[in-house]
Amino acid sequence: MGKKILIEDQIRRNKQLTILICTFMALLFIGVVFAFGYIFFQNIFIALAFGIPIAIVYVVITYSFSIKTVLSAAKARPANPKSREEKILIYKIEEMSIAAGLPMPKVYVQDSENINAFATGKKPENSVVCVTTGALHKLKPEELEGVIAHEMSHIKNHDILIATVTIAVVGTIALISEILLYSFLWGGAGRGRRNDGNAILIVIAIIFIILAPIFSRLTYLVISRRREYLADSNGAYLSRNPEGLAKALEKIKNDQPSGKPKGSKTVAPLYIANPFKRSRSERGSIWSTHPPIDERIRRLRSM
Amino acid sequence: MDLIWIIGIVVIILVAFFALIYWGFYNRIIRTENRIDNSWAQIDVQLKRRADLIPNLIETVKGYMKHEKEVLENVTKARTSLMNAKSPQENIDADNMLTGALKSLFAVSENYPDLKANQNFLNLQDELTNTENKIAYSRQHFNDSVLSYNNTIETFPGLWFAKKMNRKTKEMLKVPEESKELHKVAF
Repeated sequence: MGKKILIEDQIRRNKQLTILICTFMALLFIGVVFAFGYIFFQNIFIALAFGIPIAIVYVVITYSFSIKTVLSAAKARPANPKSREEKILIYKIEEMSIAAGLPMPKVYVQDSENINAFATGKKPENSVVCVTTGALHKLKPEELEGVIAHEMSHIKNHDILIATVTIAVVGTIALISEILLYSFLWGGAGRGRRNDGNAILIVIAIIFIILAPIFSRLTYLVISRRREYLADSNGAYLSRNPEGLAKALEKIKNDQPSGKPKGSKTVAPLYIANPFKRSRSERGSIWSTHPPIDERIRRLRSM
Repeated sequence: MDLIWIIGIVVIILVAFFALIYWGFYNRIIRTENRIDNSWAQIDVQLKRRADLIPNLIETVKGYMKHEKEVLENVTKARTSLMNAKSPQENIDADNMLTGALKSLFAVSENYPDLKANQNFLNLQDELTNTENKIAYSRQHFNDSVLSYNNTIETFPGLWFAKKMNRKTKEMLKVPEESKELHKVAF
């Protein structure tokens, strides 16, 4: 067992790191827009006139990817208070929302034997927590509470908003780089307007444009994993019981997912553990939306 | 002439700067105060709900538990002191007493299979556990809020503004050690 870290300090550190990474993302975005302008118009500021509206449109589109879409993709249904199991789920969510000082979210259930849960909603006043029936069957009250506390923290930290905006920025960067690459294929961009000895700068700009989508995607994934850790530690703070969530994660790890996972891959980052991954205990990859489960358990146990 | 302009602008910026900070702290202090009040209101609602559930529970249980007079009496007694409690701390203490009494009632109920099968009893048990947990979490939220309030008005520069606004630190709700574990007993 590693050294003890105060939950509060973990939360603060995570928040600072998120700000740092988001700044990096913003710089990347500005860089891409400027490079775009430089290559196309030899003027970085004209590009702003293109880049900003594209980004805004993207944010609006991903934003309108609403609760309903997510819920129907997951084939979720409202929890039924007549069944004791689901009534107790509603109670638990009520309790955790009080602990977090948040309004009560709507409670949904997804019929699936896998243990999983997700939260969605643009703002805390209008959010949804969805838990699989597998989680209801297989988790002990203490473990279920840990999972719900984790989801509640996602809502409290506005992670859904952060995810939406970062996905939009990643999308915009990819779009801009695609436009540029296509325009090169068609032999258009900037040719003939390149008169001064700026060829090197242009080449740098092009390389940058090619690499930027990869970097932005990686940054997005780093943010996603950071927010998972943050939700873990915040959840532990809410339930005052890190062991509950740690045990739940252990069960998720050892649980053999049966049947095809429901829902679309787009909503995978919302879940407490990626539902599309077969072996959950694998080592962390820079391409995963969630941190390795063993590391999450280790951190929870070190609190 | 130029110098006067520069001094003037610097003064204006400084004043605006302080006004902004004051504004921020003023709002923060008021907001945390409201949050504390609100979490107390939450606790109060749950305590009332709990007291309301007890007569139903006694009514349901009475028919089954013929030989457990004392257990039932303790629950009723705790409920009465909860109804009569005035200060927040008195409320919490009475609630802890009730929690203890209920705990022994539910423990005894294990000996009555008929009672355990009674749907009404099960529902009441679930709901009582629910209110108990809600109270525990509201209490936690209350203390979290008080902590962040006290931190604001005791650290620099909040300290200044708190003095100006005539604010003093607030008391947290004290909970006896053993009852901290109670909310984990859930169903």
